[in-house]
Amino acid sequence: MQPLERLLNLVVLLLETRRPLTFEEIRDGLAAYDQEDVASAKRQFERDKDQLRDIGIPLEVAPVDVWESAEGYRIPKERYYLPQIELSPEEAAALFVAARGSRRGDDAGQALVKLLVGSGSGLLGAAEAPGTAGPDASAPHLPAAAEAASRRRRVAFTYRSARGEERERSVDAWGLVFRRGSWYLVGRDVAQDEPRAFRLSRIRSSLRDTGAGEAPPEGFRAAEHIVAGPWGVGEPEGTARVAFSPKVAWWAVPAIPGAQVASTRPDGWTEADVPAAPGEEFVSWVLSFGPDAVVVAPAELRRAVVERLEAFGAAG
Amino acid sequence: MPPGRTAERLRRLLALVPYVVRNPGTSVAELAELFGTTREALTSDLNLLLFTGLPPYSPGDLIEVEIEEGRVWIRMADYFSRPLRLTRAEALSLYLRGAELSGAPGLEEAQALRSALEKLRDALGPETLGELTAEVEGEDADGAGPLPAIRAAVAARERIEIDHYSIGRDELTTRRIDPEEVFPALGRWYVVAWCHMVDGERLFRVDRIREARPTGERFEPRGLLGQGRPLYSPSQQDRMVRLRLGPRARWVAEYYATDDEREVDGRLEISLPTKDLGWVAKLVLRLGGDVEVAEPPELGQLARDVAQATLALYR
Repeated sequence: MQPLERLLNLVVLLLETRRPLTFEEIRDGLAAYDQEDVASAKRQFERDKDQLRDIGIPLEVAPVDVWESAEGYRIPKERYYLPQIELSPEEAAALFVAARGSRRGDDAGQALVKLLVGSGSGLLGAAEAPGTAGPDASAPHLPAAAEAASRRRRVAFTYRSARGEERERSVDAWGLVFRRGSWYLVGRDVAQDEPRAFRLSRIRSSLRDTGAGEAPPEGFRAAEHIVAGPWGVGEPEGTARVAFSPKVAWWAVPAIPGAQVASTRPDGWTEADVPAAPGEEFVSWVLSFGPDAVVVAPAELRRAVVERLEAFGAAG
Repeated sequence: MPPGRTAERLRRLLALVPYVVRNPGTSVAELAELFGTTREALTSDLNLLLFTGLPPYSPGDLIEVEIEEGRVWIRMADYFSRPLRLTRAEALSLYLRGAELSGAPGLEEAQALRSALEKLRDALGPETLGELTAEVEGEDADGAGPLPAIRAAVAARERIEIDHYSIGRDELTTRRIDPEEVFPALGRWYVVAWCHMVDGERLFRVDRIREARPTGERFEPRGLLGQGRPLYSPSQQDRMVRLRLGPRARWVAEYYATDDEREVDGRLEISLPTKDLGWVAKLVLRLGGDVEVAEPPELGQLARDVAQATLALYR
């Protein structure tokens, strides 16, 4: 008998039974375990049990009767079956795109098939959306960080800050944030006793689970702990008016979070009000456009750009 | 431990049987496509079902499978009429991918996706997804731009004409492309295509495409690599740039495809392969005192020229 056939019949038997079945009863029912050598049949059964649990089948051990005279096995239907989730065709199609990645039959793909089967709708419509793949989501540490955040665990890892300092951190995992193309783990930095955000791509070791973590305060929002402007990390303070050349304005302005187009000048340049902050970071960001962006106001920022350009060796 | 081959087949069957029970007469070809396997493997798995059932396994106790003219019917499998619930790993994986996708700018399905994820959370309950919250911040891009047109072209295998701005060459070109796959990476959309202007494979950032126009011509996909491919493909024509990054410029090593990293006197020295120096000159200007150019020698002058041209706009 093929192993798959034995496993299938074991699932059916334990799913359909009204009370837990002892190993002897399973042996009576299923010829596959009805070997001469009881010990080897039992070993086989143990391996099979593990295989079923590995793919998520809730195989339980419970007393067979109220006197607890013996232990038996069963698969409770209420824990086996996927709860009913009604998905509209649009929702199914959106999940289809999300799960469609480079690898077939991976976890997300399996999840999707189950959901679409369970919802009984939209599958064929969704299958007609080829060519658009979902995210890669193979970001290192993402599954481990999600696992930690979902169970409120404390994790330890080596982290390299944006400035290149590398040290050990211990963090109570509270949530995940996806921002501008990167995943962040947000949680309480145990040493600092304060919420901090850690970009997953800067974690240099594996995440080690070091026990239960503290719960976040009421109303905690992970995203509030990552502050950033168009230029990167840092809190915006007011806005600056920046003019963009016709060559770049059409793609650059829509990509700036919080930017408002103010006007299009007769020479074709677009003036926009963008979130800004005093200091080098904003100036650097404007300079990354070269001669395709000019700070119009405020005067201090304009002066700061000119000073940087002169210091760089551009003669006036 | 990842499930072995037998467990994998079992996992597939436990999803497939409910599907066929609910959609009687589905074709073998469609099932193979849907469940990511071959028709042969599928048929041999289906044949095993003929021996599945309840004791005493007489004909009336077994699942009935009928395959006729390439179509499948399954009866007597009431206990498999609903799928097995999601494992933690499956739920987390789909949830995170969905969350990430909903943050890609200008996705038409974003709203449907968010409501699907919400239903998923509610239905699976804390047992599966735990306390997980994944907050997603999309770039509030104005509209979707050419994304819908390009996705439609991919689906219809239609050649399109695009106006594309290349930041490397700092120019807008119009070219005809055969778009094969659209995918999000690092929070942006990319389209991998065969480009008829250079007669080669190219990867384009969708937000740098100003307009996409249909041509009415069809193409045969060449099977270009989509999602998961590196965003920069090195080539023979690459110039090798070598930069020494100060602490505030280290992000360059994370953001671009750099290699040969070395720590030199508290600075990080990296190699940056590139086809064009123009954009690197702007990068050098942006980094200012936080970067030193080691190679090539003309890059420093190029950056000063850019600074000069920029300064002229302030005079």
